[in-house]
Amino acid sequence: MNDAIEVAGVWKRYPPAVEALRGVNLTVGQGEFVALLGKSGSGKSTLLNILGGLDRPDEGTVTIAGVEVDYADGDALVSLRRQMLGFVFQDFNLLPSLTARENVAFPLLFNYQNSDERARRAYALLEDVGLADRADHYPREMSGGEQQRVAIARALIADPSVILADEPTGNLDTATSAGVIGLLRRINEERGTTFLIVTHDPEVGSQADRAIEMRDGEVVA
Amino acid sequence: MKFLDFLSYAAGQVTRKRMRAVLTIIGIAVGIAAVIGTVALGEGIRAQAIHAVEAQSDLTLIEVSAGQQSGMVQLVTGARVQAIKGLPGVTAAAPVLRDSFASERQTYLAVTGIGADGFNDVLSPSYAQGQAFSPGTDEVVLGADIWDTLRRYEGVRLGEPMTVLVREYADTGSPDDREVVLVPVGVMRERGDALDTAVVGDISFIGAVREREGSYDGIMIRAATPADVFSIVDRVEGFGLSATGSFEEIESVNRLMDMVVLVLAFFAAVSLIVGALMIMTTMVTSVYERRHEIGIAMAVGASQREVLALILLECAVIGLIGGILGDVLGIAFAWMIDVVGKPFIVAALGDGFAGLSTSSITMVTPLLLVFGVGAAVGLSVLSGLYPARIAAGQDPVEAIRSRR
Repeated sequence: MNDAIEVAGVWKRYPPAVEALRGVNLTVGQGEFVALLGKSGSGKSTLLNILGGLDRPDEGTVTIAGVEVDYADGDALVSLRRQMLGFVFQDFNLLPSLTARENVAFPLLFNYQNSDERARRAYALLEDVGLADRADHYPREMSGGEQQRVAIARALIADPSVILADEPTGNLDTATSAGVIGLLRRINEERGTTFLIVTHDPEVGSQADRAIEMRDGEVVA
Repeated sequence: MKFLDFLSYAAGQVTRKRMRAVLTIIGIAVGIAAVIGTVALGEGIRAQAIHAVEAQSDLTLIEVSAGQQSGMVQLVTGARVQAIKGLPGVTAAAPVLRDSFASERQTYLAVTGIGADGFNDVLSPSYAQGQAFSPGTDEVVLGADIWDTLRRYEGVRLGEPMTVLVREYADTGSPDDREVVLVPVGVMRERGDALDTAVVGDISFIGAVREREGSYDGIMIRAATPADVFSIVDRVEGFGLSATGSFEEIESVNRLMDMVVLVLAFFAAVSLIVGALMIMTTMVTSVYERRHEIGIAMAVGASQREVLALILLECAVIGLIGGILGDVLGIAFAWMIDVVGKPFIVAALGDGFAGLSTSSITMVTPLLLVFGVGAAVGLSVLSGLYPARIAAGQDPVEAIRSRR
């Protein structure tokens, strides 16, 4: 079986003088729940953006589920984001003008499914994250923890093999964080989805199968 | 359908900043209304003018004469007469000869020779006195005006022979008038055209006066309906012949009104351009405000093309609503010109145009309304191109990081 994520010799420079990633090598197995630790400025977010096809490496290769990512092919990056990856952000990034259900269904507007199918799948996922009763609420009417659960449901809508989470508990209090991490862990166990979670939170580190630490653009542990 | 879902999402985006959307829509609607109002006025005046020409003249009568094509004189031959008789929309066509005689007291007589049947078929003349000329005789019918002149000043009587002078030239070049006898048998009712001063006789008799045979000076054509006239004229001119008739007045009305409508519409279109610029500003602002959301859409799988399409659709929705509203305002505007403006126009033009006061001087056609909406949508989408490219060209990482 292919590894979920394979990063080989990836460099990212921001001219004139910043080297955000300095030859990163990294492997995450299928179904692993991995925490990516490191201080701010260590290159974690840059790596995550590159893995997500939102940014491109200057050198090196990235392989997702056995397929090397072609950063020159915009259409390939789009279908990678649509079908293989889900994103969870620190500040949730829900669209304020859409209800919870519409937010969860939003990716299927592009990865196209008709509106009945979108609504059905979104509702099922909201049930799964325990927010079925909030389906018609707008983000501003929900707590941070609820918003993050909606965002997690959104990340799952295309049933991706990998979820990339950037500080998913960074804006939440401790109790809520534990709930969100518990949810991620449960999804990982039930669905076999691979997780790579960038975090400061030691609680996340302790829940993970494995922790990878970055310092100054390099993987140190 | 993906397109419809995109459209409804775009429509939802338009309604988010309601006040701004309404102002932009009004901007485009006012522009469209101005164009529709001015074009409707122009078209209304055109319709009135054409209506007046149609009412006052014999529009379906076309007169053909020799013409020029690629430097060659094209004559009216028997073959062409036959060809023209066969054209679609031609109900009757008759060859004619034209000549100039003079009365004994030197009154100029414009003489037309035409077959008796053809004269009836093409002109269906009605007679104030007397009857039609018989074929193969020296009988003639007179137009109302020339009859008046001859009767008053030269004592001509119906049924009594009159002598006319046919001017010919001797070998030395000096004029040598020959006397010919005609018998006026009928007087046509006044028609308001050249036939009022014409003397019309049988073509074989008029031809025999000058010993002419084989070619003609012209053809008179009767078209089935006014709508057939221009296609017949096109075909006739295609033979290299020239065509004249009341349709020329309509042509010149159309030429004039084309210019008037174009100039009016151009000035009205300036306000439409202002509307388009408003859309552009609105959309640029709204794209910058929504950078963050657009970045999210890209992260969850929107392609650049789809982002572009969503922004353009948003503009199209604004244009569609603006266009429909513009049509409604335009109709109202045209109605106002009719009700409020017309008395001033009629007063300014004088009593001769009093007829206008009972009819509408603006004309809003369905085509104009379709054009109104089409122009609004087209212009809006065009104005959206620049903001849409800004939106689609964003770096998703930067966009997500940006805060509102």
